[in-house]
Amino acid sequence: MTLKLTLLAGVFAAVTTAQVAMAQEQVTWWYEAANPEQQAALSEFMIDKFNAANPDHLLTIDYRGNELDRQLRIALLSGTGPDVVNTPGPSFVATMARAGQLMQLDDIAAKMGWNDRILPFFMDLGRFDGHLYALPKTYETLGLFYNKALFAENGWTPPKTLAELDTLAEAMMAKGIIPFGSGNSGWRPANEWQVSIALNSIAGPDNVQKALIGELPWTSEPFVKAINELDKWWDKGYFGPDYFSLNGEQVMANLADGTAGMAPTGTWNFGLVPEYFKGRFDDVGFVGFPSGEGVSYPIYALGIGSTFSISAKAQNPEGAAKVIDQVFSESFYADINNVWQGEWNVPLRDLSNVKLSDDVIPLYTTSMAGLATAVNENQYGYTTWTFLPPATNSYLVSGIEEVWLDSLSTEDFLAELDKIFQQELAEGKVAEIPAR
Amino acid sequence: MHRLFVIPTLLINVSIILIPALLTIVLAFYRWDGISDPTFIGFANFEKLWGDRIFWKALKNNFIWTAIFLVFPIAIGLLAASLLLIIKRGRTLLQVIYFLPMIIATVITARIWQGMIYNPQNGIIALLNQYGFELRDPLSQTSTALFGVAVVDLWHWWGFMAVIFFAAMRQVSQEQIESARIEGANYFQLMRWVLIPAIKPTIALMMIMTVIWSFLVFDFIYIMTQGGPAFSSEVLSTMAYRKAFYELDVGYAATSALVISLFGLTAAFFYIRIQNKEGVE
Repeated sequence: MTLKLTLLAGVFAAVTTAQVAMAQEQVTWWYEAANPEQQAALSEFMIDKFNAANPDHLLTIDYRGNELDRQLRIALLSGTGPDVVNTPGPSFVATMARAGQLMQLDDIAAKMGWNDRILPFFMDLGRFDGHLYALPKTYETLGLFYNKALFAENGWTPPKTLAELDTLAEAMMAKGIIPFGSGNSGWRPANEWQVSIALNSIAGPDNVQKALIGELPWTSEPFVKAINELDKWWDKGYFGPDYFSLNGEQVMANLADGTAGMAPTGTWNFGLVPEYFKGRFDDVGFVGFPSGEGVSYPIYALGIGSTFSISAKAQNPEGAAKVIDQVFSESFYADINNVWQGEWNVPLRDLSNVKLSDDVIPLYTTSMAGLATAVNENQYGYTTWTFLPPATNSYLVSGIEEVWLDSLSTEDFLAELDKIFQQELAEGKVAEIPAR
Repeated sequence: MHRLFVIPTLLINVSIILIPALLTIVLAFYRWDGISDPTFIGFANFEKLWGDRIFWKALKNNFIWTAIFLVFPIAIGLLAASLLLIIKRGRTLLQVIYFLPMIIATVITARIWQGMIYNPQNGIIALLNQYGFELRDPLSQTSTALFGVAVVDLWHWWGFMAVIFFAAMRQVSQEQIESARIEGANYFQLMRWVLIPAIKPTIALMMIMTVIWSFLVFDFIYIMTQGGPAFSSEVLSTMAYRKAFYELDVGYAATSALVISLFGLTAAFFYIRIQNKEGVE
């Protein structure tokens, strides 16, 4: 009798659950690769909280790996795909928006109050032809991580000018220390971090902006100077002998053990700091990269890791808008950044009410605050992966290797880069660049 | 009525081979980013390909790759297969060992070689350097990157060739082999006059397939070097992939894919000719 009752109760519960699920409208979101801890964090702070707060909707996140953008493009082209569209950056949004694959978000933004909540510079990056199509998921920048303990031991200070950088790099090399811990084995586009730094900190962000809007060719003198300087660092051995063999984790390990003195890389590496500087957070520093002559210091090249849009063919656009709204909430910012730094630096205007856990490394909090100040003071530049269109950027990644390895001159590299860029600019594939 | 049995296979072939193949040919005449509407540009993609130095570098690398795979795995495979034929005990175990690399996922094999063998900080190369060798990661040098990847693919591939050749050699009449031995033939003479002539059709098939596979090579190169450094290990398939999925130039990618197909078709033509010849004989 008890068994029958239990079975009956089980069947009833199953039927009720199924009915509830049927009454709920599913919201789909494809996400890139995430490790189990990161997936657990998204489940706890996004899925569970969203589903609890929105009983009419049922959010599911599908982890699609590193090829997410290719999968998205094919899915959207065939009229399928998720409701929440996570693109790799504004230049991809431009093409997708113009092909009618993304929903215009102007009305939703007004209704949800996104214009008041998100930094205007980043909102502008999601506008094309006068309409809003995308919101930035996270903003990031490039700078110089350095081993503070090693610097203190040798009486070194972080360089602010290229001359200081050269002096310091020579001193490091004399001691057998690699000046720039770096490598592209795990992520070949790591090359563009170095190019972005050179373009912004040597040619200067004003020139980069002019080039991006087509007022200055990439073959101009400031860019030749920047790439020549980058090539000089390569030839002098600043990047070490194993650039093409090391991955990001090895780079951070080298920085932590003093094999390398500095690492010119991005803020997403804050996620690796707890692992490699375990128990000695005071030993790691992060500053802006030294600036060239005539360029103010520091310049932080801004990047957008990815963007949020709603598919024009979304099954549940209302649910998708609510998901995006939750991402841009103070509570989600605090929750996710407590456990996963560097990937969810959502560009909220006001972070004064956000309290991060004491476990978060103080350097991350201060660096992000410094970055926000730099953006406000116009001390920002442009990362290539965010602002260059796809073909130009792809060529840049491989082409700079040819310059470094002496199979192409700086002039030929920039001429080819400019040729590809001008064609993409003419085809409307360049993101709209906000005025400085 | 019996022709109806062909329909399921025909449908599959038409939908997953013929239509995509025809679309690829059509796309080669368009500029298309894979998102917006395609624009007809005539032969512009072909002209661009002709003047593209990276294309010629990739084509050259494909030829080098084909030459490597026409020689080394076939030679090692023949040697290993003949040794299997000679030994009487442990054949099954050795076949399993030879074949083992084939069943390991490509990405795992590639990452093991990249991270645990070639890596100059924590791989076997690092260990050897500690003992006074001065070795560099072959994947990091433009002169050796392609060969560095080829070694990994060879390691995973030769066992398959050995097993195929061994299966073919086992079909050779034992009387023929025994009589050659009784006549005093040594190992090389046995190979030269008995075994190789007997399995010639298998070797020819494998060589033709090697040409086709070599022009399709993608996985190991994409995982280990992505065609770098500085395009030194770029092949046609990695170039087509880069064009289609990184540069959003699907039309141009289709043009380079057509070149790959051209070599595949040439090899297939010779294969069919050999088959027909054998049928006549």
